[in-house]
Amino acid sequence: MRTAVVVVTLAVLVLAPRAAHAQISFDARRLGMGGVSLGRDGNASRYNPAYRAVKNRSGGGTGAPKVTIPVPLGLYSFFRQHPINQLTHDPTFNPDSAGFNPVALLNLILSPPIFLDLRKPAAPTNNVEFTIGKNQLIMNLGASRVLIPDQTFGLGTSGRLLDLGSGIGPFHISVMGFVHYDVGFTLDSALRSVLKDTVPVRSDSSYFIITDALAQTGVSPTVSYAGRVWHPTAMGDSGAPGGPNANADDGVYLGAAAHYYFGATYARGVGPAGFTVGNPIFGVAPTVLFDGIVHTSNGPNGHGVGADVGVAWISGPLEVGVGANDIGAQLTWSDTKIRRIQYDPNGDSISTTILANHVQSTTKLPISYIANAALRMGTGTTVGGDVFNAGRGTVIHLGAEQRYGPFAVRGGVARDERKKLQFGFGGGLRMGAFGLDLGVWTHSNTLADQRAMTMATSISVY
Amino acid sequence: MKALASAALLVLVAGCGQGKAIFNVDVYSFMAGSGRDTIRYAIPPASSATASTFQRVQLPPGFGSSVVDSVRITVGSANLINSAGTGTLGFSFFFATDSVGTLSAPSALDVPATNVSGNATVPVAISGDLSPAIHSVFAKDTVWMRIVATGTNSGLTPVTGKGALTALVIRVVLQDKIL
Repeated sequence: MRTAVVVVTLAVLVLAPRAAHAQISFDARRLGMGGVSLGRDGNASRYNPAYRAVKNRSGGGTGAPKVTIPVPLGLYSFFRQHPINQLTHDPTFNPDSAGFNPVALLNLILSPPIFLDLRKPAAPTNNVEFTIGKNQLIMNLGASRVLIPDQTFGLGTSGRLLDLGSGIGPFHISVMGFVHYDVGFTLDSALRSVLKDTVPVRSDSSYFIITDALAQTGVSPTVSYAGRVWHPTAMGDSGAPGGPNANADDGVYLGAAAHYYFGATYARGVGPAGFTVGNPIFGVAPTVLFDGIVHTSNGPNGHGVGADVGVAWISGPLEVGVGANDIGAQLTWSDTKIRRIQYDPNGDSISTTILANHVQSTTKLPISYIANAALRMGTGTTVGGDVFNAGRGTVIHLGAEQRYGPFAVRGGVARDERKKLQFGFGGGLRMGAFGLDLGVWTHSNTLADQRAMTMATSISVY
Repeated sequence: MKALASAALLVLVAGCGQGKAIFNVDVYSFMAGSGRDTIRYAIPPASSATASTFQRVQLPPGFGSSVVDSVRITVGSANLINSAGTGTLGFSFFFATDSVGTLSAPSALDVPATNVSGNATVPVAISGDLSPAIHSVFAKDTVWMRIVATGTNSGLTPVTGKGALTALVIRVVLQDKIL
């Protein structure tokens, strides 16, 4: 049972940090610049369809490597502390051990020990204290209060799977799968005050968490275009366009894609879950507060359209791009069922009532967008930044790289999905086709709001 | 409801890692005004007598496998409101998982006898660690407490009056080996 509780605990708590995966990268260069990518890989090509027509930089400077191999110093350190042949007895993984700390385990999941932790994520091991009287309940969670989220917490993603197709020139026809889920929990202010501010529980009051969960999936035939629509006519010494001053990549690139979404299935549940205490608090049994409205599709009957658009402008050392996905992507589900699921205190049971059946419902796919810019300043300096939102909050990265021959120095700053500032710095050494990079960055990928600091190392092959 | 509340509590307690769960239970608040906070006594001349009161204490569920580190009465007081006679009065505390069990349980805490005389009120402080022998009882979600007042009368007139509890807070420290 204890194990089950721990599993439930982890399952609940794992939903908390919204930025859990946002900063995970195996590229020490990128991490050393606060998460910004000065190349044309990663988010730029995924979320800006214009970048599908832009060649990736290669060679020196900020060129993207062909392969980046992380050097997992963190794993070496981790397995020294946690030998594989001892894992079954390791307090970290053994819920029956007195040394087991579910927060530490969760931190391990949310912030995998690939790289070396310079400052480990906070895992409070403090006492928690409850004051109980006939009409009194006070919870003092001590340092563990940092685990209580101030804002809506949860997880979600909007992903594309199996993009299969072929193209002719700048045009491309494909069929891709899409999946979108978003689970959010919001503590009502009274419950948050009780847990975070040690405010006494009040009699005749309700304490609850509001849940809003949506999941939908389907397939989407797509027609897309990506190409250079304008190329500058740099003048050569002879006065002819396309001379040596022209950059091969210079120009304006446009990308667009039209999607027709066939929704296979969807479900959405919204409602509070909690309890109402009596008066006095421990004199009357509290009653369950559970009242949810659940929408489900009766079959694969979702339809909708949406579009991706993007533009990239490259002019010598300057590069700017803006792209957005799933614009106007609203699915209409022609046959859905709406049920109310609530706790019945009289029968001490859960009752389900069909409020409506065979009715129409609509859902949306979140708009994802990215805006990026990079400037190579000609003195070995490259600066860049991006603003990115995948539907769960805006992330901003700003970073710079200064090269001195084979050496590089990097730094950056970011604002993560929790609106918390993070910092990065690092350096690298390039020898021919190989580069060794080191990046140190702060992150709040764990339960606690406090920053951890990690040092990443990677080898790049150019 | 219990399951939901328990789950919420366990999530919180599990979150404290290797820390301990501490419960300060204001037992007196459950007894006040119910009549169970008062023990009346009438001790005949040259004899002794006992009287007792029972109280059920509800603790959060789910700690059946927990190790109880300590149980202590941190705040406790009573008034011995003597009406007549001269004698002594002491208290003993017994704990068990049901009311009948308190009759055979070993004493968890003995409060030394206090002299009473005439029509006067004598305050008595109650505090101390409870016997480790009964610690495991506090891992259960229901604990019964019996307070026994033991009086002696070496005089020639009856000793009468009542002992009225005015405060009782029990502090239970658990290593959170949740069920």
